[in-house]
Amino acid sequence: MSAENKRRILIVDDSRTMRRMVATSLSNIGECRFEEAANGLEAIERLVLGPADLMILDLNMPELHGIEVLKFVRARPMYQSMPVIVLTTKGEESVQREAMAAGASLYLTKPFSAIELEAKVRGLLAEAGDKA
Amino acid sequence: MADLNQPPDDFVNQFLDDYFAECEEHLAVVRAGLLNLERFVDSSIADTAQLDELFRSFHTIKGISGMVGLSPAEQLAHEMEGYLRVLRQGEALLSKEGFDSLIEGTKVLEEVINAHKTHAPAPAIERTIEILREVVAGKDTSVTPAKGQPEQTQKTEDKKQWRFLFAPSQARSEAGINVNTVRARLQSIGDILSTTPLVHDGDVLFELIVSTSASESELDALKDLELTSEPIEPEEKVEPITPTSGTSQTISTSVRVDLVRLDQLMLLVGELVVTRARLEKNLKSIRTSVTPVQWRQLQEVHVAFGKQLRDLRNDVMRVRMVPIAEVFDRMRFVVRDISRETRKQVILELSGQETEIDKFLVERLMDPLLHLVRNSISHGIESEEQRIAAGKPAEGHIYLRATTAGELVVIEVGDDGRGIDVKSVAAQAPEVALWDDEGRIDFDRLLETISAPGLSTRDHADRASGRGVGMDVVARAISDLDGSLSVFTEAGKGTTFRIELPLTLAITDALIATADAQTFAIHRSAVQEVIEIEPGSIKVLENNEIILHRDEVLPLVRLSRVFNLKDKKEGSLHAFVIGTGNRATGLVVDKVLGLREVVVRSLSDPLTDVPGVGGATELGDGRPILILDVMEILNASRHVYASQQSH
Repeated sequence: MSAENKRRILIVDDSRTMRRMVATSLSNIGECRFEEAANGLEAIERLVLGPADLMILDLNMPELHGIEVLKFVRARPMYQSMPVIVLTTKGEESVQREAMAAGASLYLTKPFSAIELEAKVRGLLAEAGDKA
Repeated sequence: MADLNQPPDDFVNQFLDDYFAECEEHLAVVRAGLLNLERFVDSSIADTAQLDELFRSFHTIKGISGMVGLSPAEQLAHEMEGYLRVLRQGEALLSKEGFDSLIEGTKVLEEVINAHKTHAPAPAIERTIEILREVVAGKDTSVTPAKGQPEQTQKTEDKKQWRFLFAPSQARSEAGINVNTVRARLQSIGDILSTTPLVHDGDVLFELIVSTSASESELDALKDLELTSEPIEPEEKVEPITPTSGTSQTISTSVRVDLVRLDQLMLLVGELVVTRARLEKNLKSIRTSVTPVQWRQLQEVHVAFGKQLRDLRNDVMRVRMVPIAEVFDRMRFVVRDISRETRKQVILELSGQETEIDKFLVERLMDPLLHLVRNSISHGIESEEQRIAAGKPAEGHIYLRATTAGELVVIEVGDDGRGIDVKSVAAQAPEVALWDDEGRIDFDRLLETISAPGLSTRDHADRASGRGVGMDVVARAISDLDGSLSVFTEAGKGTTFRIELPLTLAITDALIATADAQTFAIHRSAVQEVIEIEPGSIKVLENNEIILHRDEVLPLVRLSRVFNLKDKKEGSLHAFVIGTGNRATGLVVDKVLGLREVVVRSLSDPLTDVPGVGGATELGDGRPILILDVMEILNASRHVYASQQSH
């Protein structure tokens, strides 16, 4: 599989330690290319420049909140089927409901388990592959 | 159950360095943010942008602390975040107790993280968490605070609002133009009120509303960003989607580099300097065996090499320099903290924050400065009543100043307090003469005395200074950095400590000289001028050799005698003039060989800890030569002469 064919995973989080943790957790999946964005605006720009196969999205970020990113992305036809995992620090339950309503495929909380995250990402990528 | 979610240690360990670095950055943002927030204590206005930023920093610390399994930090950050949420949502006003709890919480959070870093036992957090919870529980819901962004209410008349549109594209992204860089550039000409993604004709655009007083030409300078822009009428009220504030927008184009790598780079440059010196020596030896044309070409290459090497060295050195603001900002927090503890009103005045120092010095200066500042507040600044009684303003002043002087960085920590109680110091060290014959304080001796281990001018160490390092540790820390410390104090007026540090540590320009066939190096920065002396012009006055130089008497010190070598018998001598005015002294050597760039190697072996020797270097032939600490030599000589004179 060439670099072009590698699946693109966009990791959006304002903490670079967290972005590295996520990328490292998924490093065993293989045939993946990780891209990072440190805020919501950057996330949208990245998606405009090229669609991702999966997005892992933090919520509480500067410039644009994760929920806003999700709403914007889901309103665009080309991103409607992209799996989005919302990965956020444990908070109120209303946030989870809001995230799911805005179109999150999955809602996970930090601290996360690397094994669980990897399994969920594999599952979502396989599901998306089947549909395609 | 929680254990199942706990990441295994080896997963966590690989992120610890990142974790500590990121926590440190957020704590710096938090400290600055809290200081800005203080003016809103008990005010009906809430600085929502500032609260948002603080909230996010604690939120991130909470998240990454959870990931590395540092649950006390996670819990503390969670409680602080909780209080900030209440404030942000306008459910409470920022009370004095609440503000204090945030300050205290930040301090404990920092201690918890540092303890984890140094494998020290973690401090207790229960009390701090309890206080934070009390503050949140006791929120006064009867108030309805007016939310607002005070920064923006002070809008001046000449500011206009502009609407910019930015269309991201692959080509622009490759040229380094993206939404982050666009925001950073617009931020430099005004305030970004909002950034919103829009869809226009099927394309995604970013709309940025900016309030700015920039001129047409300043806006013209943004042409390379290829934005479309139009002024908007001030009546069109723009509601920002996401409030922004000062410190979070620094979209950096910088790279983080481990200091160890920079040290390695510097070491390599040092090796290159030595190799170049060796090349120079070899070149000289073949001069007669090549044609003049070949020789000139070799020389040209060699000179260019030397110049490029010097540029490289300067650039590598510059990479390591950071503004001293990094240290000073920390002190702002400390001052606030200690002044609350000691119940003294203190105003901190900073100057020269842009002065650059080696990153290596930043960490090493923190403790000495911290202690000097602590001493100034707890011992120097009087209580409010005492100050008023003495006719001084009620609030004390602490000064932190930084400047560069030649190849030195000068940092001063001063206060307008009561001054050092010299009589009390004298009472504890009766054997030291702290005053000269005319009753003036001998500041050097005073410093020496207060820096002796264990001396305190207070009967009992008070809370603030009791937990810090003593003056002896301050003096040692500065001397370890090849710096010098001095003090000036005046009863009733205040005390100033002055720290002088070399700007560069590893490579320096040195004058090379000989005495009795031995070669020595002397830091160029210490030498005012080099003079030639005819032996006949030297006069002897009360055991001191002197000459007349520029119509002034210049005392001489012979290097040969300092190291028990033979004096030069014939021919003229050279002298380095060290110091100025009536402190000027001539250090006499047999011959000056020239100016060289040398790599300073420290002599850490205690057996070679000889007074007057500051290090060693080599000139390319592999043989080590000593670098002299001329100030130490001259001070020692002055004492010798003084004792000779008194007999």
